Amino acid sequence: MIQTRELTRKFNGLTAVDRLTVDIQEGEVFGFLGPNGAGKTTTVRMLACLIRPTSGTATVNGIQVGKDNRAIRSIVGFLTESPGLYEKLSAEANLLYFARLYDVENPEEQVRKYLEMLGLWERRAETVGGFSKGMKQKVAIARALVHEPKVLFLDEPTSALDPEAAKTVRNFIEELKAHKRTIILCTHNLDEAERLCDRIGVIRQKLIAVDTPDGLRRSLFGRQTVVQLENVTPALLETASSLDFVAHVQQENNKIIISLADPDKQNPIIVERLVSAGGKVQYVNEVRHSLEDVYLTLVREEGR
Amino acid sequence: MKKAWIVFRKEWFELVKNKLILYTILIPPLMLSILPLVMLYFTRNEPVDQNDLAMYQQFLALLPGLTPAEVVQYMLLNQFLMMYLMMPLIIPVTIAAFSIIGEKEQRSLEPLLATPIRVTELLIGKTLAAVIPALLVTWLSFLIFWAGASFMTTPTMMRMLISPMWLLAIFVMSPLFCILAVGIGVVISSRVNDTRVAQQIGGIIVLPVIALAMLQTMGKVLYTTQTFAIACLVLAVVDLFVIYFGSRLFQRETILTRWK
Repeated sequence: MIQTRELTRKFNGLTAVDRLTVDIQEGEVFGFLGPNGAGKTTTVRMLACLIRPTSGTATVNGIQVGKDNRAIRSIVGFLTESPGLYEKLSAEANLLYFARLYDVENPEEQVRKYLEMLGLWERRAETVGGFSKGMKQKVAIARALVHEPKVLFLDEPTSALDPEAAKTVRNFIEELKAHKRTIILCTHNLDEAERLCDRIGVIRQKLIAVDTPDGLRRSLFGRQTVVQLENVTPALLETASSLDFVAHVQQENNKIIISLADPDKQNPIIVERLVSAGGKVQYVNEVRHSLEDVYLTLVREEGR
Repeated sequence: MKKAWIVFRKEWFELVKNKLILYTILIPPLMLSILPLVMLYFTRNEPVDQNDLAMYQQFLALLPGLTPAEVVQYMLLNQFLMMYLMMPLIIPVTIAAFSIIGEKEQRSLEPLLATPIRVTELLIGKTLAAVIPALLVTWLSFLIFWAGASFMTTPTMMRMLISPMWLLAIFVMSPLFCILAVGIGVVISSRVNDTRVAQQIGGIIVLPVIALAMLQTMGKVLYTTQTFAIACLVLAVVDLFVIYFGSRLFQRETILTRWK
């Protein structure tokens, strides 16, 4: 659905996005994760044909950015960081305006559909200036969806919201995900990225890494199994490290942490050997590094 | 142009809902319609002030068929014509500043620019939303003045008030001033983030008109149809330049990356 090749944007000599190459599939929820000023917004602005790339190419639904920008704009929806609504107009008037600008065939019906979906139909005639931040963000989401775009760009959709409103917005994005819409989410909220995204691209001007959240963990930290025993003896440690597929073993109190290439196959063997060696196994778990560990490691490594 | 119309409708709707802007647009023109009528009413039977007549003596030859009293009255009313020319400058700047800076304040420009609208359609929609109310108000206030004056002055004076010069000023120069004002409004709005500041800066553009009006009041010049025709041509050229400059500033990328 989206392809970029060496996509670059410079502002007065400063590189905001540096040779970004990425493929995003149809129906995928792809997250751009990075610190402030990493180039996330600049990237989606280029893909939404709001600003021109300095060099490189990008295509959205097979249309090259810069060739037919109006065609691209008509199939993408863009939720900006702040809702950007007309405060003196009603929720309905805000949405009707955009539905008409997007040439929606039956704007009234389409507006009603999204206002009902987001629980705002009863308050459609109220001016949005009196709405809470969460409600405004809902109207902004409806505005980004009113023309049923194939691609949806969400730029920090929950950054200014309280936890309850943020949860509502996240739940709605999850619903959209179920409808197989291609979504590009810019965020520095790690939980949000992990919960919503199929794949994550960690960006800091350059694309540092791209993978699924689990894939990123694996590529950075490998896979590790933690075996909790009633008592860890030197003999049990020796048993674990003597297995030829075990890369590394370390002890932490009554736990043995073992680095493995294929835990699904190798965990049963380890447990069997430890039990045979007299170990009393209490629990077996996979060591799961948080996305925060992954993100901070990647960003720090890139910063060096 | 369908989208320009959509923008115009939305701008119009927002304008009607904004009482402050509405009063700013309606009250001064209403005053300018009533003031000359009040002046006409109270001076219609007054003897001619010899000092006034002496000041305008040099123009008597240019105003054939008018009595000395009518000459003084005409010169005074001409000042109000210049006032009418300020309306198409002040009103569009106010509306354009409110419209564009309002979008900046509400941060609604980016989602708007993400739609398939062409920037020229957006600019035309916003221009129409500033020009049409300004022209309607100018023409309506002139109509009120003209209708009132027809009861209070002589047929000769009325003929002067619908002379080619006045018609040129109201129906040609006013639209040209409106376009100039919108262009200046766009340029100001690209650099300023506060509607009131933009209005104050925009107010400066009426100073040349006031200066020209003062010259006539002091009896230094008398504007004629020919003067106004030349002024219209100059304005048309200036408008073309302002439209070009304004449309260069009003580009997606410029708005998102360079506007303050």
